[in-house]
Amino acid sequence: MTAQPRKNADRAPMLVYKDVRKRYGSFTALDGVSLHVNPGEVVCLIGPSGSGKSTLLRCTNGLETLDGGEVLFEGKPLPKSDVEMRGVRQRMGMVFQNFELFPHKTALENVATGLITVKKMPADEANRRAMALMAKVGLSDKTANYPSNLSGGQQQRVAIARALAMEPHVMLFDEPTSALDPETVGEVLNVMRQLALEGMTMIVVTHEMSFARRVASWVVVFEKGKLLEEGPPTQIFDAPLKERTRDFLSHLGWDG
Amino acid sequence: MDLDFSPLLDSWRFLASGLGLTLALSAAAVLCSFAAGLLVALGRLYGPRWLSVILVFYIDSMRAIPVFVVLVWIYFAVPILTGHTFAPFWAALTGITIHVAAYVAEVVRAGLTSIRRGQAQAGYALGMSTAQVLRVILLPQAIVRMMPAFGSIVSVTIKDTAIAAVIAVPELMRQAETLAGQTYRPIEIFTAVMLIYFVIIFPITRLIDRFYGRVAHLGRS
Amino acid sequence: MNLDWSIVWSSRWLLLEGAALTVLLTALTMLISVPGGILLALMRGSRFKPVSLFATGFVELFRNLPLLLLVYWAFYVMPVLTGLALSPFVTGLTALCLNVSAYNSETFRSGIASIRKGQGEAGLALGMSRAQVFGEIILPQAWRRVLPVLASTWVSLFKDTSLVSVIAVGELAHTAMQIRSQSFRVLEMLTAMAAIYWLMGYPQAKLVDWIHRKYGVRE
Repeated sequence: MTAQPRKNADRAPMLVYKDVRKRYGSFTALDGVSLHVNPGEVVCLIGPSGSGKSTLLRCTNGLETLDGGEVLFEGKPLPKSDVEMRGVRQRMGMVFQNFELFPHKTALENVATGLITVKKMPADEANRRAMALMAKVGLSDKTANYPSNLSGGQQQRVAIARALAMEPHVMLFDEPTSALDPETVGEVLNVMRQLALEGMTMIVVTHEMSFARRVASWVVVFEKGKLLEEGPPTQIFDAPLKERTRDFLSHLGWDG
Repeated sequence: MDLDFSPLLDSWRFLASGLGLTLALSAAAVLCSFAAGLLVALGRLYGPRWLSVILVFYIDSMRAIPVFVVLVWIYFAVPILTGHTFAPFWAALTGITIHVAAYVAEVVRAGLTSIRRGQAQAGYALGMSTAQVLRVILLPQAIVRMMPAFGSIVSVTIKDTAIAAVIAVPELMRQAETLAGQTYRPIEIFTAVMLIYFVIIFPITRLIDRFYGRVAHLGRS
Repeated sequence: MNLDWSIVWSSRWLLLEGAALTVLLTALTMLISVPGGILLALMRGSRFKPVSLFATGFVELFRNLPLLLLVYWAFYVMPVLTGLALSPFVTGLTALCLNVSAYNSETFRSGIASIRKGQGEAGLALGMSRAQVFGEIILPQAWRRVLPVLASTWVSLFKDTSLVSVIAVGELAHTAMQIRSQSFRVLEMLTAMAAIYWLMGYPQAKLVDWIHRKYGVRE
């Protein structure tokens, strides 16, 4: 291990995963994963498809239930009851691979919908907040558009604004650029980089190695449902401790 | 509530003959309306303009008028017009066929027009006639897509045969009515007959759902 | 053959009243069976086994029976089950609702199933309750798929109301059949009955086509 101290290691971790296990029938998606995320960290989860990164993310906000182990969010285990879980989800923003904007609502309505439905905020206040977030992701001129009239990159930026509207303590990104045309990947990554600079705690499942290299404060490599290696990006990308990490990165054409 | 199922045991032959007629009427109606419906669809798609205007009018009219009305009209009104009386069975078969054929025609048309135009053009480019294009290229592809709709038409037809009871065709529904009237045990008899119909129709619906799940991907292209 | 069409004109008010009852029966049935169908679809998806089993049984039974049989069955069984003397109208309405709710349930179920799973997850991730996800996200999107099918069901229902005439509900078919047997003007009355159904049903069928064109899923 490198001697480099991990970011905010002195503070209580935001998320702790203890021996997390998840199976789908005979397929083991997570085979005892333990790791933690400190406040303000950008943690990138990398690894081959089907290695369990997305599953771990979906276990974080309870879209999947655990078969074993435990997830602690801000010191408390994830609640079992639906009602309490809803409270936890309000403090976690999630961005999906396929955006999952609501096609029957305009961009602005998408951003405001959580505030109005979940937080019971008056519509005009919610819309004001949504406007500000649309500006933040650089889409002030697209507020009235329906998702079908937006490019993939624009849709994903609206989706990020929608998640941010709830003022989450942590943002979960599930392969946010995998479904995008190459020319729109950059605009989404820029928004994410901006968020990281502002100190947002982020967990990012990604195949964008250059993003992980430059923006992540901590990188976790998955393989077959297990944690293969974790460390700061300099370690993972420049001097991985495990041969399998080097193999995975060289498959992607990463030459350090 | 005290139930007495003994009339069922005493008169099961009476109901069984009704069931036989229901099945016979259903089978005949399905065959006739599929044949008629195919012809109507082809006439509408490939026939001269005046013919397709008439056929569209016929199809839409059948979508507007209840089977019940068609049946009683054929059974009671046609003899007045023509001077010939119809046996109830044949009146029922004619009425159901006229009605169901319109639905079959719609399904066939939708199936045929769902095949990409290039498919027919490829056939013509090989020197095929319209009949050959239909038989060799379009129908085989369309039939797979039409199967679920055909299946539900079969179950609708079986259900429609019960309406023949109102013109005194002694099929299952009519026999049940008669028996209920004779024995004063309507609850037992109608419940039993309900079960019989369910046992016939449910497997067909199930099969459609199963089949639909399997071929749904063929519809997407 | 001697025909006397004046019987149609002289019974116009009776026929009109019958036609009005046909429309009322159709509208009431739909009004009850749309929420009924949604409820059944939700019950079928329930994680509580007895609830989903009951809903499945209900739907499969009532959509796999001839409506005429259901009408008779309701006529004889409902008074025994409820202990009430129900009017033919209520009995007929019940039979139609049982049947159409079962159909609508299937319509809503497949409409709901057509919405990508991620849509619901996106709502959950925002902290919405399952009810909010259903009302805010799933239903509005499923609606587009469901509407054309509901429109077709409406027209079928409009025609099917003729079957409650067998238990003497005074809708169009029953009224026309009554006048026929009192006046012996069989051909005239039956033709008038068919014509009135046609006049009412034809525009509905055309409207359904329009709705299918407007909302239908294009492949």
